[in-house]
Amino acid sequence: MKTDQEKRAFLKKVLDGTIAGSLYLVMPMAGLAMGNNTKDHASRKAPLEKLPEQVPGIRGKTYDILDQEFAFVVDITRCIGCGSCCVADKREYNVPDDNYRTWVERYVKGFSDQVYVDAPNGGLDGYQTPRLDIDELIRDTFFVPKLCNMCKEAPCVQVCPVGATFTTPDGFVLVDHERCVGCAYCIQACPYSVRYIHPTTKTVDKCTWCYHRVRKGLLPACVDVCPTGARKFGSLRDESSEVYQILKGPGVLTVLKKEMGTWPALYYKGARREVV
Amino acid sequence: MGLSYKMRLLILALGIGIATTGGLFIKSLLKPESFGVYGPYRAAAIDEEAQIPIRHATNVSCYSCHPYEAKIHKAGLHKTISCEFCHGPWADHVAGSKKVGTLPVKKDGEITTLCLRCHNTEITARPHEVIKTVAMPGHLESQKVKLTHNCNQCHHVHAPLKYINRAKQITESAEKAL
Repeated sequence: MKTDQEKRAFLKKVLDGTIAGSLYLVMPMAGLAMGNNTKDHASRKAPLEKLPEQVPGIRGKTYDILDQEFAFVVDITRCIGCGSCCVADKREYNVPDDNYRTWVERYVKGFSDQVYVDAPNGGLDGYQTPRLDIDELIRDTFFVPKLCNMCKEAPCVQVCPVGATFTTPDGFVLVDHERCVGCAYCIQACPYSVRYIHPTTKTVDKCTWCYHRVRKGLLPACVDVCPTGARKFGSLRDESSEVYQILKGPGVLTVLKKEMGTWPALYYKGARREVV
Repeated sequence: MGLSYKMRLLILALGIGIATTGGLFIKSLLKPESFGVYGPYRAAAIDEEAQIPIRHATNVSCYSCHPYEAKIHKAGLHKTISCEFCHGPWADHVAGSKKVGTLPVKKDGEITTLCLRCHNTEITARPHEVIKTVAMPGHLESQKVKLTHNCNQCHHVHAPLKYINRAKQITESAEKAL
């Protein structure tokens, strides 16, 4: 069996058709040794090393969880409601139908100051038709992407009776799926309605700002796929990051439901006062 | 009862001691290993979350095996669009360095629906300085093409103005030559 595999590997290298390949014919042993160290090894590498480092300062060193801070900025003035983020999010986590970790709402404001909000299928299919049920002149209309606010004073963490949801030292609110008993207190506590019970695991699930991607130096999936740069994510320990510059700058940023004292790490740019 | 005051006190102290030790022992059995490292939760859950494999691998991974599409996509106005949005996630296509599945390619009417997801003028919530939108079928009429045309019959899906600009160049040079 082992010899078979070796033969196979050797033939593969010969058939590569390169000059090196024909050299292997002459010097099979040297070729094998070389091949093991170079080409073959490289092709088996995890793709991570080939991917761009979108969140700098994480890869290639031990992650100091106690000295990290991140922020998410949603620029409403750039959101076109394409739903790329929703699609990417659903695919990244295989989110079951009718549950949403992130979604895009459409706000329509009439001259009577009445506000109409809808989000057909969470924006997963995009917005193909205008709202025809509004019987007044429209004053303002825009899209608002929603996701976990990563509160610094998270109500969901406070109510969890089993310590299954928690704020990590680097500022992410995560769920421990081993400990969660599915009591759904956190779903009721969350002012932003970002939590749901996963129909298969029966534990609670929510947006994590793609913690697994961030720890690999990658942007959250929704940020990576956003074609207009409406979603921005970055480290506040990195002064060159876009979010650091935005947060430091003079632009007006708002958070959702500020009066609840949740201190979100998710900021909105261009959010009208009607956005909740 | 012939027990002295001191004896009763001792029994009480022993009882409390046994109950406390027993309680602490049971607690140590029930408490997950990394509980309480950073707070009242299982610290190992953080690493478990961090180790979930990624399913979207950015446009760079797509470009590495599809240089022809990459060249066109990177040069066009659609360069900020994620390959994976239209075609599906990388993880459904590649595992390690092996191809494990074929990603769908949108066809005919699907393409027009996909284009109008972003480029439909009727959706007024779209900031028009961010995206160029068209009205259908007005656009087809003004361009004097059949109303059954799909977007990709004039526009290259990966670089929408590729053919349009080329056609303009040809007609301009033809006019100059006259």
